[in-house]
Amino acid sequence: MADVTHTPSMTLLDRLDEAAIASAAPSQTELMRELRIKGRPGWTSNLPPSLAAFVTNPKGMTGVIVLLGLILFSLLGPVFSEYNPQRRAGKPHVAPSYEHVMGTTRMGKDVYTQLAYGSRTSLAVGFGAGLAAALIGLAVGISAGYFGGRIDDVLTFLVNVVLVLPGLPLIIVIASLVDSAGPLVIGIVLALTGWGWSARTIRTQTMSLRTREFILAAELMGERKWRIILKEIFPNMLSFFMGGLVLGTISAILAEAALSFIGLGDPNAVTWGTMLYWAQNNMALQVGAWWEIWPPAIAIMLTGAALVMINFAVDEITNPQLKASRKIGRIRRFLARRGRSADVF
Amino acid sequence: MTYILRRVAFYLAAFFVAVTLNFFIPRIMPGDPSARIIASFQGRLNDAQVEAIRASYGTTGSLWEQYIGYVGQVLRMDFGISTVQFPEPTSSLLFYGATWTLVLVGIAIALAFLIGTMMGIHAAWNRGGFFDSVFTPINVMLNAFTPAVVALLLFYAFSLQLQWFPLGRAHSTGLVPSWDPQFIGNVLYHATLPVLSILIVSFGGWHLGMRNVMINLLNEDFVILARAKGLSDRRVRYRYVARNAILPQITSLALSVGFLLGGALVTEQVFNYPGLGKFTVTAIESRDYSFIQAQLLLLTMSVLVANLLSDIANVILDPRLRKG
Repeated sequence: MADVTHTPSMTLLDRLDEAAIASAAPSQTELMRELRIKGRPGWTSNLPPSLAAFVTNPKGMTGVIVLLGLILFSLLGPVFSEYNPQRRAGKPHVAPSYEHVMGTTRMGKDVYTQLAYGSRTSLAVGFGAGLAAALIGLAVGISAGYFGGRIDDVLTFLVNVVLVLPGLPLIIVIASLVDSAGPLVIGIVLALTGWGWSARTIRTQTMSLRTREFILAAELMGERKWRIILKEIFPNMLSFFMGGLVLGTISAILAEAALSFIGLGDPNAVTWGTMLYWAQNNMALQVGAWWEIWPPAIAIMLTGAALVMINFAVDEITNPQLKASRKIGRIRRFLARRGRSADVF
Repeated sequence: MTYILRRVAFYLAAFFVAVTLNFFIPRIMPGDPSARIIASFQGRLNDAQVEAIRASYGTTGSLWEQYIGYVGQVLRMDFGISTVQFPEPTSSLLFYGATWTLVLVGIAIALAFLIGTMMGIHAAWNRGGFFDSVFTPINVMLNAFTPAVVALLLFYAFSLQLQWFPLGRAHSTGLVPSWDPQFIGNVLYHATLPVLSILIVSFGGWHLGMRNVMINLLNEDFVILARAKGLSDRRVRYRYVARNAILPQITSLALSVGFLLGGALVTEQVFNYPGLGKFTVTAIESRDYSFIQAQLLLLTMSVLVANLLSDIANVILDPRLRKG
């Protein structure tokens, strides 16, 4: 039996050809299929590029869906409850049952009702404080980066002080002086102490932007400064603003929970933090009433996880090398399968 | 050297801002501490007593005189008498608590930084691989779990249910603090769960930070040159890429000290650990303002010192800073 590929009739040239075909670079469609890289779906072509990059990012969209679910729950959840979150609704520490889906607290309050109303307050404080902090950071960052000089010196000093002052202890001082710090007070204080990071990032980005030609062109055309800031600089800061918003919201939600947990919040308000505070105070775990701890704990963890996913997506948009790194693993495995060295990456 | 001096000047200014805030916040709030205490006696005090209480809180004289008096007190580390642990001076209570918090937060920061950074190096080097795509998101999500929840769960599982670890305190009663191995072992045993709960919520940040900076550095020319020269993977990874990526990490390490001290507050509350946070919560409950204010100053001071140390470390590691 003759070897089919190495028949004596095959010339050396033929064999070289064959080898070249075997090792030839695969076509683009082949490569994309093998690497599981999909082109951008057609419907995103009308969206601005950074938004299109976000909606096609699986991590980011998972985060958005979970977050929307939580917001929907906080809006609609209370509708499905017949109880008042602040009032006794049954016997103390009833295990989850038909009447009390998530059981009752030591005080006999319905846990589901508390969770639903508490989500409203906690999410509102978190997003409110996060948004306010991101807006302050945006304003300070753009002003410092664009105007430069004396204004920059003063603002940068302010930013550095805000970054260095420990937030939570400062909030404790303020909150302990107000008789009982309700969610609104906590939100305001968190907004005022939480804008340092986004101001710093946006200042750096603005500084690198302001020497670019299109800004120069706008200045030479005699555009007014506030117009340049709003029309030319702000759109380029959108993804950094989003990043600041997400991080600010995470830290506000965590800080609200921590403050309420140590008893600085208004004990009559219903938030995830105060739910944990009462559960800890009433030794819920020690007496085995796990249903008093888990619902607010899971709510906080889910919110945090969703926001982190969104932040991953925002990071990949502002820092394209991170996005590319996701595919590098596949490319390496692909090269290894073809017997090539993967060391070039 | 001028760089370090500039930083020291900034930290002094920042500390001054903290002292000033500490002075003005109670005075712009409705109902200052002394008024609150005087009100709690419901008019049973004579004028001299009222004056004495005001004087002990420094609310006599003009605002400017009060301010000068307060700054003087702070510089002498004199924070008045604690109203909770009367007649213990606030500062001795403060330093006792700070010692234990330092044990907790010190161990936790060191471990979190080490573990997170090593994981970040590994994830960045094998970016897009299994470890990176699975553990990077998970670790960062752990970062967004509140210390309260993690501490409660650990306490429930290991202290209450399995009873592997104690229910509270920094060391067993009856042991006298000393440097002998038995005592140190006992302290570490009591610190295990509190440290673990701070660790769990903080190492993800170092992982992500290190990974992201390293990924950006991996495409720099000097890294490509190093590989083209045929240097070993190990050498490129640690001496070239990680060494440069660690610089911003050290800066954020110092900035995170404040955040971690805040986390310790909650953890100490759950594990009944006699640190600064535990005393602060007691002080909040009993409205011991002098303690609450003093803890802010002490924490600010420790954050500033941490920042100064990180600046010095950066100067040692980064020759570019030595010129400016």
